[in-house]
Amino acid sequence: MTILVSKKTKVIVQGISGKAGRFHAEQCKEYGTHLVGGVTPGKGGQMILDVPVFDTVWEAKQKVHPDATLIFVPAPFAADAILEAEDAGIPLIVCITEGVPVRDMLEVKRVMNVSKTSRLIGPNCPGIISPGECKIGIMPGYIHKKGSIGIVSRSGTLTYEAVWQTTQLGLGQSTCVGIGGDPLNGTNFIDVLTLFEKDPETKAILLIGEIGGDAEEEAAEWIARHCSKPVAAFIAGATAPAGKRMGHAGAIISGGKGTAAQKFEALKKAGVTITQNPAGMGLAIQQAMGK
Amino acid sequence: MNLHEYQAKHIFKRYGIPVPVFGVASSAEEAAKVAHQLHLKEAVIKIQVHAGGRGKAGGVKFAKTQPEIAEIAKKLIGMKMVNEQTGPDGVIAHQVLISSPLEIAKEYYFCAIMDRSRAVPMFIASPEGGMDIEEIAHKMPEKILKMPFGFDGRLKSYQLLRLAKFMGWTGELAKKGALLAEQVAKCFIETDASMLEINPLVQTPQGDLYALDAKLSIDDNALFRQPEIAAFYDPTQVSPQEAAAKQFDLAYIAMHGEIGCMVNGAGLAMATMDIIQLHGASPANFLDVGGSASKEKVAEGFRIILSDPKVKGVLVNIFGGIMNCAVLAEGVVYAAKELNMKIPIVVRMEGTNVAEGKRIFKESHLHIISADDLEQAAKLAVQAIRK
Repeated sequence: MTILVSKKTKVIVQGISGKAGRFHAEQCKEYGTHLVGGVTPGKGGQMILDVPVFDTVWEAKQKVHPDATLIFVPAPFAADAILEAEDAGIPLIVCITEGVPVRDMLEVKRVMNVSKTSRLIGPNCPGIISPGECKIGIMPGYIHKKGSIGIVSRSGTLTYEAVWQTTQLGLGQSTCVGIGGDPLNGTNFIDVLTLFEKDPETKAILLIGEIGGDAEEEAAEWIARHCSKPVAAFIAGATAPAGKRMGHAGAIISGGKGTAAQKFEALKKAGVTITQNPAGMGLAIQQAMGK
Repeated sequence: MNLHEYQAKHIFKRYGIPVPVFGVASSAEEAAKVAHQLHLKEAVIKIQVHAGGRGKAGGVKFAKTQPEIAEIAKKLIGMKMVNEQTGPDGVIAHQVLISSPLEIAKEYYFCAIMDRSRAVPMFIASPEGGMDIEEIAHKMPEKILKMPFGFDGRLKSYQLLRLAKFMGWTGELAKKGALLAEQVAKCFIETDASMLEINPLVQTPQGDLYALDAKLSIDDNALFRQPEIAAFYDPTQVSPQEAAAKQFDLAYIAMHGEIGCMVNGAGLAMATMDIIQLHGASPANFLDVGGSASKEKVAEGFRIILSDPKVKGVLVNIFGGIMNCAVLAEGVVYAAKELNMKIPIVVRMEGTNVAEGKRIFKESHLHIISADDLEQAAKLAVQAIRK
């Protein structure tokens, strides 16, 4: 078993005719993801990568019954693309787009919070992968290996680093979820931790956070109360200066809050094996499992 | 993006938020002209920089006569302000705000901010103005009122009532305060702000309210639809490297160490800085070249890193996903040859097209130190600058 996705997951790509959309749709398909269609307004009726393109998500829903959608729509229109997918009742919405305005996300969050049909991952994220089963995202497939570690992260390439380390150690991954680097996002750490806790294939959990906000502190509290599996964690940005936005819109220390030290402390208190060294994430999870 | 006080006040005026009469000057002549036009007999003169603590740093002065306005402006323009917020390099004031002084009966605090964990805009008020909000929160947490509002930018009537009671306002003052709160919420939403702060909000003996100071930060992701605000961007308030990086859409932040960093992805870029520090050296910068950088963009990033005279060595850490290692290698080789660089470069690459990237480096005949993993890369980079 994996969380959220499997070999059977039928996927459409919103923005499939764009350069990035098409490239990654192809990469996902090559990885073995069950791609069933794409959506680009005005391009309905065409075929791209041997799958039909629709003008709207609603039409795609009627014709090819997708379980998930992967969004590459440009930032000014990304929030609408998410709302369109929710409106059509697509169960899993993965938004890769970076640069979505926070005000747009306020509306998206309000809709997603009460949605009875859908879950959002992202935006500004690498997506989700269950090695050997399904890849809905932009991560390089070959660095992954089917295994027992559940990885959840706010970062993209730092997740690849963690994946690579666990692959090198032979541990492999059950599922990896990038929840995104924006201040407002869909699925959060606790949502993913809850799923990993229930998933029999996930033996241990690696959490990768970064400065800004208090999502890691909230996750720590949840772990202390509800998590029976070993957890290891790294927080990026111990050297980051206060008041500067470190690339990700959400990575900023403001008013003395959101520092790496505070997050490490909260996680440590919750019994999580922490590592201050990003090269030691694989070893930390190994150590956590040996406890 | 942070705005100057005069820019924020310019926007405030459009939303009806009352501000004292003001003008802006970038020379003594302009200051005299502003004083004349606004009929100012006396004035408060404030340096315009992207940092707080201007008063303590000597950047806020009071002029008692019209000639004094120009004299003080002359002294303040070009002033370099250095404090904890600006970093050791400081920031230079190229402009001053010249404002009519107000008689102050009482000071308050108003703010609107994005509450991340609740995913709502939050209106914050306190009857204790003039201090840092963190200080109020620490000393008198009961004196802070927080009220969430909708993305339509509207406070409910019960919230406005609660605000008036909390602030101790009655009659006309309560009406003025409620109107101002509504204007603040509307301005916050419509300008795509991430923070709007009025500290202090002052009450005059006549019972009027004014935003004496104004802070406004705008969500960078929304600047595409805020063209007027985007035009307020002031490159003089960041380091020359940061200003150059912004032109090329690179995320660069200056640090104070000696190892330049070029990384793809914000999280990995921060982690690379962290591991340099763990090995006993300091990073010179944060640089995320992004996911889809071209050879030219990589070369530009490299030039920016090397334009910092503190840099004694460079660590390139790339985990190719969307980013192709070969493109990175071409960019680095191109820039290193063009700049005839003499300092050591340590390269760690993994991911998409890594074999081709390594071949490009090898055939470049540049002195490049190759690392197999992140740990080794950090160690080699620290060793290289210590030689």
